[in-house]
Amino acid sequence: MAEPVLLRRVGHVDPTRLEDYLAWGGFEALRRALLRRPESIVDEVKASGLVGRGGAAFPTGVKWEAVARESRTPKYVVCNADESEPGTFKDRVLMEGDPFVLVEAMAIAGHAVGAEEGYIYVRGEYIRAYERIKNAVEEATRAGFLGDHILDSDVSFHVHVYRGAGAYVCGEETALFESIEGKRGQPRQKPPFPTTHGLFGRPTVINNVETLANIPPIVLHGPEWFRSLGPEDAPGPKLYSVSGAVNAPGVYEAPMSVTLRELIEEYAGGVRNGGRVQAVLVGGAAGTFLGPKELDVPMSFSGLRKVGAALGSGAVMVIDEQVDMWEVLLRLARFFAHESCGKCYPCQLGTQRQLEIVRRMASGRIRYQDILRLRDIQATMADASICGLGQTAGNAILSGLRVMGLDVS
Amino acid sequence: MTEMTVDWQRVDEVIARWAPKGRAGLLPCLEEVQEITGWLSPEVSRRVAAGLKVPLADVFGVITFYSLLYERPVGRVIVRVCDDVSCFVNGSREVVQACRTYLGIEPGETTPDGMFTLETHPCLGRCERAPFLMVNDEEYGPVRGEDVPRILDAWKERVRSE
Repeated sequence: MAEPVLLRRVGHVDPTRLEDYLAWGGFEALRRALLRRPESIVDEVKASGLVGRGGAAFPTGVKWEAVARESRTPKYVVCNADESEPGTFKDRVLMEGDPFVLVEAMAIAGHAVGAEEGYIYVRGEYIRAYERIKNAVEEATRAGFLGDHILDSDVSFHVHVYRGAGAYVCGEETALFESIEGKRGQPRQKPPFPTTHGLFGRPTVINNVETLANIPPIVLHGPEWFRSLGPEDAPGPKLYSVSGAVNAPGVYEAPMSVTLRELIEEYAGGVRNGGRVQAVLVGGAAGTFLGPKELDVPMSFSGLRKVGAALGSGAVMVIDEQVDMWEVLLRLARFFAHESCGKCYPCQLGTQRQLEIVRRMASGRIRYQDILRLRDIQATMADASICGLGQTAGNAILSGLRVMGLDVS
Repeated sequence: MTEMTVDWQRVDEVIARWAPKGRAGLLPCLEEVQEITGWLSPEVSRRVAAGLKVPLADVFGVITFYSLLYERPVGRVIVRVCDDVSCFVNGSREVVQACRTYLGIEPGETTPDGMFTLETHPCLGRCERAPFLMVNDEEYGPVRGEDVPRILDAWKERVRSE
């Protein structure tokens, strides 16, 4: 396994000390970025091929370019640190172990797109991560890496740290804006997109924690280097959160050519008690179950698409043969019924009906008609919900049934 | 906590600090006020609404939307057991059962002495430490059912000595 890029400081530095970050090359990328024209940074991020690591895999440079071209000010840079996808904990590990990298990345983004204010929205249950980020912002401001005239340049950038309050849907970017604005965290209808109408209705770049952590290395080492770190169609390093029935659960960094089997057997130490895989939930609750015959799939966007799955946040939850799959499906159905925000009906009603049916099936009444109903609900939610929550709320249930041999397609 | 014992001076200080932000200060203001008051009573909500110049109905709307904001009294110690997929696979049911037995309440309830509230929680994002338990701001994991009495005994002591 190669030298890590994203995790290289995690566990090796005191995350509360700016001196440690500086000793490991911290803020060198910002220093260099400030000497360059904003457009050249945007071009470099585009050329790197970096795509969002939060789940939607949108090209980061394209987002930045759209906001940079907006003439309306103020503009904002927002970091989506509301990591709530079940089975995903990579952003927490980064924030707890290397919080300054986020601060540096946001200041670079601010310079690149012409924003002077940034917001970091940290998940409410991530208390330690919130404190570390808050401390990092304060320390960086004190040392002149944030604030007015950063490092005596004509660039200014201020960062506000917000804490979520327990709502999965706030990980959806427009719901997150609503939440910062002091409203119920319900997603907005899109378009318009955040690049023109984001936080407070202004042009906004919103990026996930892991996405931003890639920015300083790209500025330091260039897009060619970044592209060399992964397969042709999936450049750069990726963090995978591996958990469940494995011997060594944790966050692992790997190129996206890594297979699901390698992640489970080589990185996470294999299935516990020498057992066998029953199913693997890839991408979190919004993701897809794969069966034991599908473990050789490469964990890249295109690789997973070929088997009808999506990389999403990079969560890998391993279910071994000792586990009752019905109990797992019941939890997933309950999760969506609880977290649906209620704004649009396909999701509000669909997640409730889905839970009722899964409950019925889990109690032993397996009927052909119910499986058809679940398919109908999933299709309706996928087509007609306004945000990703409803659009993906039926995936895990249907793919779980498929792995269990209850496929009716 | 009854309204009689609320430290209104500290509450008003928090409200005054967030007031310049207006509505964009609502969420952090409610979070900070709740750290003082334990829950967000109608009286607390009225003060926040007036201070930040946000309609009271909207303040209630926000409070009821987020699961970490409480519109009803809760215990001084909140016990959150993660019962999501990875924790379930690693035995969270046993932890939930141990909490129910120790506290004598069901998830969602508060002990009659107002000390503990028990919640089962969707994924808390500590899957590498499954099964995971959070008591107020402290983290425990991996935990076994048999660890629960020792952990909660220590919290009882801590609250009594405060």
